[in-house]
Amino acid sequence: MSDAAYVQRVLNGDAGAFTQLVNRYYERCSRFAVRMLGNRDDAEDALQATFMRAYRSLGKYQERDRFSAWLYRILVNQCRSIASRRSQRERVFVREEAALLNAADRRPGWTGEDEELVQRILAELDPLLREAFVLKYVEELSYEEMSAATGVGISALKMRVKRACDRLKARWEYIKDD
Amino acid sequence: MKHMLIRVTALVALTTSLSAQDRGADPLSRLDPSTRYSVELLLDSARHLGLPYGPIESKALEGISKRASGRDIVVAARRVFRALRDARAALGPASSSDELTAAAGALRVGITTTQLSSLAARRDGKALTVPLVVLADLVTRGVARDTASSTIFQLWQSGAADDDFLGLWRSVERDIVSGTDPGVALLNRARQIPAKGPLTAVPPTSGVRPPEDAKT
Amino acid sequence: MTDEFDSLDPNVRWIINEARRPVPVDAAARDRLLEALRAEPAPARAPRFVAWLAQPRNFQLPPFAAAALAAGLVGIGVLSGLAINRDGRPATEQLPAVAVGHPQLPDSLAAAAMKFVIVAPQAAKVSLVGDFNRWDATATPMVAQGKDGLWTVFVPLRPGLHTYSFVVDGQFVSDPAAPIAPDDGFGHRSSVVLVRKPTL
Repeated sequence: MSDAAYVQRVLNGDAGAFTQLVNRYYERCSRFAVRMLGNRDDAEDALQATFMRAYRSLGKYQERDRFSAWLYRILVNQCRSIASRRSQRERVFVREEAALLNAADRRPGWTGEDEELVQRILAELDPLLREAFVLKYVEELSYEEMSAATGVGISALKMRVKRACDRLKARWEYIKDD
Repeated sequence: MKHMLIRVTALVALTTSLSAQDRGADPLSRLDPSTRYSVELLLDSARHLGLPYGPIESKALEGISKRASGRDIVVAARRVFRALRDARAALGPASSSDELTAAAGALRVGITTTQLSSLAARRDGKALTVPLVVLADLVTRGVARDTASSTIFQLWQSGAADDDFLGLWRSVERDIVSGTDPGVALLNRARQIPAKGPLTAVPPTSGVRPPEDAKT
Repeated sequence: MTDEFDSLDPNVRWIINEARRPVPVDAAARDRLLEALRAEPAPARAPRFVAWLAQPRNFQLPPFAAAALAAGLVGIGVLSGLAINRDGRPATEQLPAVAVGHPQLPDSLAAAAMKFVIVAPQAAKVSLVGDFNRWDATATPMVAQGKDGLWTVFVPLRPGLHTYSFVVDGQFVSDPAAPIAPDDGFGHRSSVVLVRKPTL
């Protein structure tokens, strides 16, 4: 069943139909949130907020939009919002964490060093460049969809994607020898 | 702070699920930056550990309202965090947020985690919130910790319900106000509550013998 | 897309391939989300909420409930909230009737709309603060009833444990007839109220 059909079912009273949409998009949105925010906790917050907001404003969803694009727009905004709240906190958090918490538990699904390396590389990118890069090459949105999701013009997005690629290329040699 | 904005109105909340209080505009913005960071760290740590973070945030807001210094706010919030963490270790991960808050209050007045664990061991699906609130109150009013703890424990074990504990609290409070020694008042009133189940042995943590009967 | 991708630096392509790996989903987090969704009211096509319902603070009871409560009726079933149907009409038939009680008495366990009372004959201004209104002294002012110094306010509280205090002419005062909350950490004493779930 198409996304739009599920949306209609929800609006007609079948709340359970939204679960189908969640199942369809959770993993993908999860990947974007983790790549953007760099840690699972913030990503989960972003996901929760995204789907809750999508559910609540489902009445405003226009069928002419693709549901995925509409959802990504909410997701992008939630990630931006959480990231801007975070600011300097991260570095201090690590110190406090050592003082306050008991033994750290590894999250399930730890895929090893490469994931951490990629996260580190992405984290070094300016957030706006990272956002454009991930939407373009990881989530594989079209520039039109990216523009709708971010509110940024297509040519500006193309420039950000190019700059991101240039930076990554330049940084790669440095990181490889770390 | 857009952290999980849930704009549920008070009225609709009553009839649906009463999810989180409205956060509205950023409630912690009145804190100075370094205090705020410390509080946010505690909230993060609480979330990371799966502890309820409402009581911690509420404590910070209380401090703001009472015009406390940033340092006092952080100290108080940290105390809440530690008490919640210890309360959960004592009561177990299935405890509700209210139970943990009540248990944290009991820890604050000197009840031990061992005493809390004894209560939790005999839970049988009942919530410990009310007995713990009563326990903390009685200790604050002057009942010796061990007396209060063992009395509450025995009542709990014998099947006392929320109404029993609250009735007990009300009558003890009135006795204290009219001049009765708090410990004596508690023991006298506790005796008046009929046991609902078989009484078992006194919990191992109590090493205090109840005082002799006294005429009130 | 493939052309663009192929023209990228090989190291950048490696990063992209790594970044495209799915992130394993934390089932517990997804379950929490689904549970939160289940607790949400169903979305409506074009929800029309009455303006006063959208005010989360300075809660006002609907007129019929306020009248009943102002008459001092205790223990009588009162409608304490309004749900709104999809088409914008109040859905009164969906409500549980709840009893109004006093937080100072153990019977308050049965209430969801709580009446707070304090005697302060000399006071010029009294308000209620607690974890339900972010301890904001401007959020819930109390109203003087008559000349004997009785101040009251009705507040809807979710079931469970709440900590509160009165602010009497700027001073934090605990409720003399309620359980004491442990030391607040700021040199004042607060009070505890326990609210039971409303029963049908």
